Amino acid sequence: MFDLSLGILGSAGVALALTLSVYAAIAGAIGAHRRDARLQTSARLTSIAVFLALTTAVVAMMAALLTDDFSVKYVAEHSRIASPTWVKVVTLWAALEGSVLLWAWLLTGYTAVLAVTTPNTVLRPWAISIMHTVQVFFLGVVAFAANPFIVLANPPLDGPGANPLLQNHWMMAVHPVLMYLGFVGLTVPFAFAMAALITRRPGTEWMRLTRRWTLTGWGFLTAAIVSGGWWSYEVLGWGGFWAWDPVENVSIMPWLTATAFIHSVQVQERRRMLKAWNLLLIVLTFSLTLLGTFLIRSGVISSVHAFGDGPVGPYFLAFFVIVALASLTLVALRWDQVRDRSELDAAVSREGAFLGVNVLFLALAFAVLLGTIFPLLVEAATGARVTVGAPFFDQVSLPLWMLVFALMGVGPLLPWRRAETQTLKRNLAWMLAAAGVAAGIALALGMRKVYPTITIGLAGWNLASFALLLAGAIVPRARITGRSLASVFRAYAFEHKRRFGSMVVHLGAVIVALGIVGASGYRVDQQLRLEYGAPAAFQGYELVAIEPFAVREGGRVSVGVYIDVFVDGRQVTTLSPRINTFGDQQQPVPTASVRYTPGHDLYLSLAGSVSPDTDFVVIRAVQSPLVTWIWIGGVIMALGTAYTLSPVGARARSTVRSDSAAGAEA
Amino acid sequence: MRRVLVTTAVVGSLAALFVFGLLRGHPDRDIPSNLLGRTAPSFELPLYEHYTAEYGTVLSLAEERGRPMIINFWASWCGPCYDEAPHLERIWNRYRDDVLVIGVQTQDRDARAAGRAFIDQFGLSFPNVHDNDSRVSITYGLFGVPETFFVRADGTVQYKHAGPVTESMMVEQIEAMLR
Amino acid sequence: MRRRVPSARRLGPLVIVAMAIAALSAPHAMLAQEGALDRRVFEIANELRCPTCVSESVGQSSSPIAREMRIIIQEQLEGGATRTEILAFFQERYGDWILLEPPKRGLHLLVWVLPVAAAMVGVVVLGVLVRRWQAAGATPVAADPADLARVRAALERTDERPSHVDADAFGERHERGA
Repeated sequence: MFDLSLGILGSAGVALALTLSVYAAIAGAIGAHRRDARLQTSARLTSIAVFLALTTAVVAMMAALLTDDFSVKYVAEHSRIASPTWVKVVTLWAALEGSVLLWAWLLTGYTAVLAVTTPNTVLRPWAISIMHTVQVFFLGVVAFAANPFIVLANPPLDGPGANPLLQNHWMMAVHPVLMYLGFVGLTVPFAFAMAALITRRPGTEWMRLTRRWTLTGWGFLTAAIVSGGWWSYEVLGWGGFWAWDPVENVSIMPWLTATAFIHSVQVQERRRMLKAWNLLLIVLTFSLTLLGTFLIRSGVISSVHAFGDGPVGPYFLAFFVIVALASLTLVALRWDQVRDRSELDAAVSREGAFLGVNVLFLALAFAVLLGTIFPLLVEAATGARVTVGAPFFDQVSLPLWMLVFALMGVGPLLPWRRAETQTLKRNLAWMLAAAGVAAGIALALGMRKVYPTITIGLAGWNLASFALLLAGAIVPRARITGRSLASVFRAYAFEHKRRFGSMVVHLGAVIVALGIVGASGYRVDQQLRLEYGAPAAFQGYELVAIEPFAVREGGRVSVGVYIDVFVDGRQVTTLSPRINTFGDQQQPVPTASVRYTPGHDLYLSLAGSVSPDTDFVVIRAVQSPLVTWIWIGGVIMALGTAYTLSPVGARARSTVRSDSAAGAEA
Repeated sequence: MRRVLVTTAVVGSLAALFVFGLLRGHPDRDIPSNLLGRTAPSFELPLYEHYTAEYGTVLSLAEERGRPMIINFWASWCGPCYDEAPHLERIWNRYRDDVLVIGVQTQDRDARAAGRAFIDQFGLSFPNVHDNDSRVSITYGLFGVPETFFVRADGTVQYKHAGPVTESMMVEQIEAMLR
Repeated sequence: MRRRVPSARRLGPLVIVAMAIAALSAPHAMLAQEGALDRRVFEIANELRCPTCVSESVGQSSSPIAREMRIIIQEQLEGGATRTEILAFFQERYGDWILLEPPKRGLHLLVWVLPVAAAMVGVVVLGVLVRRWQAAGATPVAADPADLARVRAALERTDERPSHVDADAFGERHERGA
């Protein structure tokens, strides 16, 4: 079918991309240094060529996967003829080599877009050179350390297929891509920050140029974390969504520092403070994405989803050290320019709240990092083995999260520079009252656990804060203009997209928090023995096991049980928890069956085996209150971010802005 | 300059920690046993029929105390167990007057036929028992198979080895137990 | 070959198929021993690490050892044991490693103390900086007459007094450039 082997085509694409990227990194740097416009342009255009070259490689891999070309090593090791097409597509990033290839490809794509769309500034050539330097690392890993395109002399007739846990759920098509889009997105502000340091322009220019990229990266990372939670919930069979496993920890660490970053850049944009701090935060964020990849890909720390320990660990460690040392040294060398000569009018102000939330997010990130590497630390020091698991992370992080949510209610209500005591007191009184009412309702409903009750109170606190924000923005305008509240609201949301988008994101966060409170604070987890035909009671449900079944579809064998679910004698649904086995792989994957409702989920998974000659089946039944709201809240957070970034209404705003900007300065 | 030094020190110590992690290999290997120096828990488990003539139908660890013991945990699905079985048989033949070797098939539910095949494949002549519900494996704090415990004559655990045993390392431990 | 993962690689594909079937349709004898577990079992199991798994709790894992450990917890609960006693039972056999919450003693104290210490240092440093910045902010700044004139003109143009809350739409000013 192909005269040219796909493996060779792919290797050639990677090699070409690597060579061009090395050229672009060097030419870009020289061009930037000598202010040579031709070299700069050459580096920019090369970015597009690199993207096209690597696209060829990715297309070759995709073709190899889809045509079951087992002469390509990666396909032979991770794909299987009988797999459905979507699984073959997803296999591109289901194992180590492919996922590094995807990461590199997204990076080249971002760089190409950046090269085309960024306005011509002094920063651009350096930023592009730095993007290429990062790219050279990833392409080098693909070319030398984890080459998926190695051609096998004796190709097998079929392969083992992808990791069963990964091909068991379609979310695997989405979650890793979102994660890498997030990581790559956060590379852009890092590159511009470094460019700003090199060119001695550590002002706000670099963050203004990358504001959209940062928010895009953050939004993808948020969506990736939430979708990863949903994947765990659906696939891992115990009805949980977050286990503080190292792989989850390393995804939340850059999220925490990136969240701190998107808040603290506003202080610099507005008040010219925190220059050094923002640079350190973006260095930290980017370094943590590398460190995290090292931790879970090297087998240094054991993790339930450390899919495929590979040979890339030492490379990521080396790159992490280089990036951290080089960028921090650069910050140190430019210290005289970046140190703050700041002024603060009052601690109780918008900037004060941002400073506070920065400390909280950094403390959270530190606690997560420490807990994740602590077993290694103890082993290095004494040789003893210790485990740091969910109970630790819960106890340490929950108080900090409560403070984050408390500040989240106050911060947006505070004006820049200084808050009027009178209005502040009035607002706090409303919010306290709402928090009291919410917590009171929770207590009246029988909630006694400390953190869940506080969280409900904080939800009330934050809802009151949203109401005050909107009322403060809309009511006076409506009164002055005489228009209806709804039309003023629409105009407000349209004109103040950043402000309104951030409110939506915060609302999403409150909803996620409520979901977590219900699902982890009040979940009921039980193992039941169901005799066929005999009803068993579980949390207001009646469960009746009907019969076992076995089906074969798309190269997958499912063995399970049909269970009818009754509420008050009325059948509401039939659930079918099962065990999936993929091809020759011996690892059977228990797969849960879930009834989703807004109030709670009923989650059934098989806890024993199924056999036609037994008269009962053992299942694990989980009732998870409010768990669906975690996913809904996550979607709201992503939509809020997208709204902030969307170009809609950009023109409408410009007319209003000159007035409001001048007004704000007054 | 001071700032550069501080950064280098912080990044460097982190890197050193991770290099240690890379060198020490897989994180869950060779976890020290909590039983070292303490009395090996007793158990009573059914013997395979190969050994009933000599030892009865049930092997009771408490009754065998008084001489050093090697308790080897294995499973029929475990690759390294196949590597180490001949070594255990040779050690048993060499030291059977002084040391008792006990094989415990564990974490291998309802696999009597596979266990029998394993024993026959290597002609194991030391007593082998079946820990069907893996309770003894939990009592001994097993992290996997194979794991091998070296128990002194007084019943205390001298050493635990995770992974396949070899003749030479067993000789070393036996000499220490007999000393 | 990983020691911990059941592997039948050397037994050939036939056995693998047989094993898969055995795993899916285990004989009656095995199932008869399994049964209902109380919800308290999982609460305790979630504090224990599964010894044969990679980074999973006994409550999460569906491995045979984790299942057996859950049955042990159930039996001990029925026998009147408390949560502490059950955790101690497993700790005696497996050491501190088995506890997902590191015990608060010895070197392990560090993991508990350091995050709190770090947060406190953060708060103190921030406090010092805020005081310093406030002192800097208290010194009056000479205003550029041109700026003042622009501000005055802007104030006269707007009849709308921005309320304290919607004053700014943060950073809006800079969006023009982006």
